[in-house]
Amino acid sequence: METVVDGLRMLVTTPIALAAAAGVAWGILGGALPGISPSISMALLLPFTYGMEPRSAIVLLAATYVGAEYGGSIPAILIRTPGTNAAAATLLDGYPMKLAGRGGEALGISLYSGVLGGFVGLLVLMALTRPLAELALRFTPMSYFALGVLGLGVIASLAGPSLLKGLAAGLLGLMVATIGSDPVSGVPRFTFGQPDLLDGVAPILVMVGLFAVSELFLQAGQGAWQKASSESARIRWPGTRLRRRLVKPQLIGSVVGAVEGVIPGAGGTIASFLSYNEARRWSRAPEEFGRGSPEGVAAPETANNTVAATALVPLLSFGIPGSNSAAILLGGFLVHGLIPGPRLFEENADAITGLYAGLFAANVSLIVIGGAALPVCLWLVNRSKPVLMAFIYALILSGIYSINGSLFDLGLTLAAGMAGVVMRVLGFPLLPVVLGVVLGSLVESNYRRALLLSGGDHAIFLEDPVAVVLLSIAALVVVGSVGTRFRSRRKEAHA
Amino acid sequence: MNRVRAILGILAALATGCAAGDAPPGAEGGYPHAIVTLVTHSSPGGGSDVFLREMARRLGPRMGVDFVVENVTGGGGARAMSRVANAPPDGSVFYAATPSFIFTSLMSRPANTYADLDPIVNVFLDQEVVYTRAESGFETLADVMRIARTGAGRWGAASPGSLERQALERLARAADVEAAIISHDGGGDLILNVLNGTLDIGVGEAQEIRGQLDAERLRLLAVFSEARLPGLPEVPTVGESGYDVAVTKFRGLMGPPNTPPDIVETWEGAVRDLLEDPEYREVYSGAMLSPAFMPRPEFARFIEAFAADTEAFLRESGVLD
Repeated sequence: METVVDGLRMLVTTPIALAAAAGVAWGILGGALPGISPSISMALLLPFTYGMEPRSAIVLLAATYVGAEYGGSIPAILIRTPGTNAAAATLLDGYPMKLAGRGGEALGISLYSGVLGGFVGLLVLMALTRPLAELALRFTPMSYFALGVLGLGVIASLAGPSLLKGLAAGLLGLMVATIGSDPVSGVPRFTFGQPDLLDGVAPILVMVGLFAVSELFLQAGQGAWQKASSESARIRWPGTRLRRRLVKPQLIGSVVGAVEGVIPGAGGTIASFLSYNEARRWSRAPEEFGRGSPEGVAAPETANNTVAATALVPLLSFGIPGSNSAAILLGGFLVHGLIPGPRLFEENADAITGLYAGLFAANVSLIVIGGAALPVCLWLVNRSKPVLMAFIYALILSGIYSINGSLFDLGLTLAAGMAGVVMRVLGFPLLPVVLGVVLGSLVESNYRRALLLSGGDHAIFLEDPVAVVLLSIAALVVVGSVGTRFRSRRKEAHA
Repeated sequence: MNRVRAILGILAALATGCAAGDAPPGAEGGYPHAIVTLVTHSSPGGGSDVFLREMARRLGPRMGVDFVVENVTGGGGARAMSRVANAPPDGSVFYAATPSFIFTSLMSRPANTYADLDPIVNVFLDQEVVYTRAESGFETLADVMRIARTGAGRWGAASPGSLERQALERLARAADVEAAIISHDGGGDLILNVLNGTLDIGVGEAQEIRGQLDAERLRLLAVFSEARLPGLPEVPTVGESGYDVAVTKFRGLMGPPNTPPDIVETWEGAVRDLLEDPEYREVYSGAMLSPAFMPRPEFARFIEAFAADTEAFLRESGVLD
């Protein structure tokens, strides 16, 4: 309750509301551009948040996520090209609706459902993170080690089709994490006499390179997308009868979104498709699905906006980024010296309250900006693709340069981009790399600290209750996802 | 756009006008540069950054100079050092030095080290304190040693190559105990591990733990200085507690090699006078900084001795070979 009052006060006393609105607007534009995913829209902004007040910076990023999840549905509905991966499910019924002359209505449903999903997600976020924060003070080096292991265990479930490739990607990240000064003795490792490497490779460079730069490289090799006609640039808000019909798919979307968001590794795309499927199964008119059912738009759009909030639960409470977008947001926290995880609630409760308030403001402004931004999005989507891509390159590189004023950082980012291209072409997932980079030093330094404490006795990990619980969960996550993988492969073999 | 520029111009004019107006007689044109860059390796809001900005705010009007604080972060200070070492030695660029620049020079062997910089003047000593959590059973350092003597001592320092780490290693040697000395990823991690009872004691700057001290969640056991601190008269020194160890964290200014003597003299005078300023004194004593003016010759000897000490320590503890 106190948090709510504090949060509302922050909305009027700080520029948080402004940051939220700006983030939503940027997110919608980014989301509307095919190929520019929510995480890339966020990554583009990340370097510019460096000079901002921390709370506004984080809100700006989180609001971008919110905006992008809606923005992605615009080209999905209008030009049959999903702006984001999660919007691929929206396309299934959104585009048929547009063909039937109901494009504006589909956009209205998408916006309305997105806002609802966002509020549900925020409630779930607020309810879950607080109790987890109570653990804050009990985190010893042993617990932190176990937490890092749990985070790495998530790789098993987000590795994509090949577990081996996922593990290899994670390993690459862990290797990058060993660059820099040794966390215990301070001796430089793998720095090759390069002073710029003494502090290690900043996760932000890896993220921006892997996600954004590699996407641009790949986009450069693909043809232009379809043009959108400007006649459809009007949103129609759903009427009372339709709204009543949408309650069920929206309920399904928000429940699926809440659950999938909280589980690291699931993310918005899975939530969208899952909720689309469930909405069809529970619908009174399942035969309409795929031919322009409003329910088919509402369910995935509710789900992906719910995820935009609930994906922050594992990030805020444990510091584990469960999705690409959450990983970028983590970068935003780190740039400001805020370390998500139990300690954040102890030391910077303000930042969290600000984030809640900002998400609230973001969803409110989504209602207004969602409609107003539509003509701008259409204009942007219809620009020449090479010009757009060149502009985005300039934005990324100048942003990275502005962090430390270092050309070395620029080189690292581009190198990470190259690595990203190679990995994508060969079918390696990218997120495990980021998890490895972010969690590598956490795991290593706390493991070594724990052994220093015990004089080399590994039993110390079993004496710490928090560590035991976290390690058990990690084991369950790994066994569970490997099991699922195994079963689905057998099913495929039988079919 | 033009209007914005005009307003900025007026503001700048006002600012320089005020600066000149506030300057004590004789200070105008006393310094050869209108703009002086102060380089720090710490990020905005970090220890050295705050130190420089507070000092520059007051020193600017006195010297008739506009100070610019430049944050050259990264490389444990290596980038900042090379920025200053390669600047013209004309008194327009200085570096805010702390012990970490000596640690980085010794451990990482960057292209430019502390030996490539000219000591100008020392300003403050930052005091390191030993603290424990409020509900721990330790009342004195001797209590801590009683546990450590059984081999179960767990002590913490903020980062691996740091003065705090060195202080604890020396303390363990002086008390002839084997304690596990754990370094962290920064002060926040360390404080948490002292608060949750993982560690017996932690070492850090008094200022860092002020909030926890005021909230009575942490208690001070000793200070690592030569004498008791004016702000903490009831806390004994480590020496008084029976262990002959004292460490000093300095905050001073270094310049590019061959900085001319008249520039150094100007700085010596300006810093000495500034430390007497009652308003400034209130600020720095509030931050638990002790004024420790050292003119160039003394500061140079101090740095040399500090580096020799540190190197010997790093060799003994096996970090350097």
